[in-house]
Amino acid sequence: MKIRYAQGRTDEISIDVTTIEQVLLQLEINPVEVIVSKNGHLVPEDAMVSNDDEIRIFRIVHGG
Amino acid sequence: MTPGESSSPADTVPCSRCPSPAITVLRNSGIHLCGEHFAEDIEQRVRHSINEYSMIKEGDRIAVALSGGKDSTVLLYLLHKFLHGRKDLEIFALTVDEGIAGYREDTISSAEHISASLGIDHIIVSFREEYGRSLDELLRRRENRACTVCGVLRRQLLQRAARANGATKLATGHSLDDEVQSAMMNILRGDVRRIARVLPSDDASSFVPRVKPLRDIPEREVAMYGMVKGIYVNIRDCPYARFALRSDVRSLMNEMEYRHPGTLHRVMNGYDALTSRVGGMFPNQSLLACRECGEPCTGERCSACALVHSMNRENMGH
Repeated sequence: MKIRYAQGRTDEISIDVTTIEQVLLQLEINPVEVIVSKNGHLVPEDAMVSNDDEIRIFRIVHGG
Repeated sequence: MTPGESSSPADTVPCSRCPSPAITVLRNSGIHLCGEHFAEDIEQRVRHSINEYSMIKEGDRIAVALSGGKDSTVLLYLLHKFLHGRKDLEIFALTVDEGIAGYREDTISSAEHISASLGIDHIIVSFREEYGRSLDELLRRRENRACTVCGVLRRQLLQRAARANGATKLATGHSLDDEVQSAMMNILRGDVRRIARVLPSDDASSFVPRVKPLRDIPEREVAMYGMVKGIYVNIRDCPYARFALRSDVRSLMNEMEYRHPGTLHRVMNGYDALTSRVGGMFPNQSLLACRECGEPCTGERCSACALVHSMNRENMGH
């Protein structure tokens, strides 16, 4: 599965079919600190993902 | 890609209120919401906070503190949405340019953009004009004090500029996360006077009263609302943020919120109850005028002038 970070970095990981939340925990990211889109659309943390999907992780920058 | 778009229906969870695909799940209740119902929910909760705390009244001229980041952008958008038809109220945006090279330029440009697109007057004031030096210049060799220095000077400048422009309220984009972090920082510092809110800023006769319409909305939901409405501003962290106690408290509270959903709301409710009980435990200090700038304060100099004075003295010593 392809992972894009909002800052431009990309990553590729292999997963079983699982939830967004589990992917984030695998990446050691606290789910309350990010918003995730799957294949270009915002999704809840309990949405399922597979290796064919591309997810994008928006880290919530503090302040503003 | 547009982050505000919702998912295709084939492989996603439906909204709890309609057949559209959900974009989020509210962790406390397990309710799934699509973009439209999520935005409706946020708007309802912000309206509720504004009413519950009587933040806005007829005849108000509201200065909206607009840094150009996500929270203040959402705040300006929402206040405009709620109030633009009201003939008895006025809104204008107020931006402080602290002078942080490589960071502030983008956010100021965002602030200009959102104000112009909503047709709201926008006033920009700067540390350089007001205090003679930018934050970068003030902080040389003192980066670890960045948030204290910036906070004191920015708060004073916002107050001064709000008053000078006839504001009766100063609205800031503080989210639930910000408020909980501040509460925890007061506790971690053992700052009982601040917990008891014996601060001059509570004196409405001398200061433009501050209101925080987003105080009950988690920062993540503020950001998501911005995405849904296509006004999300993705800026990088302030370069000084890593020096702050707030940064550590933020990570700690986020961890607690993940492991024990609802922690932020519970802390805030408990802290509100605490401050309302201990609010009168210190005698009120009478307000004087700062001998340098004339701003109301409790000593000879206001905290901003005292800070600039001490930093100038330290500079001369180097």
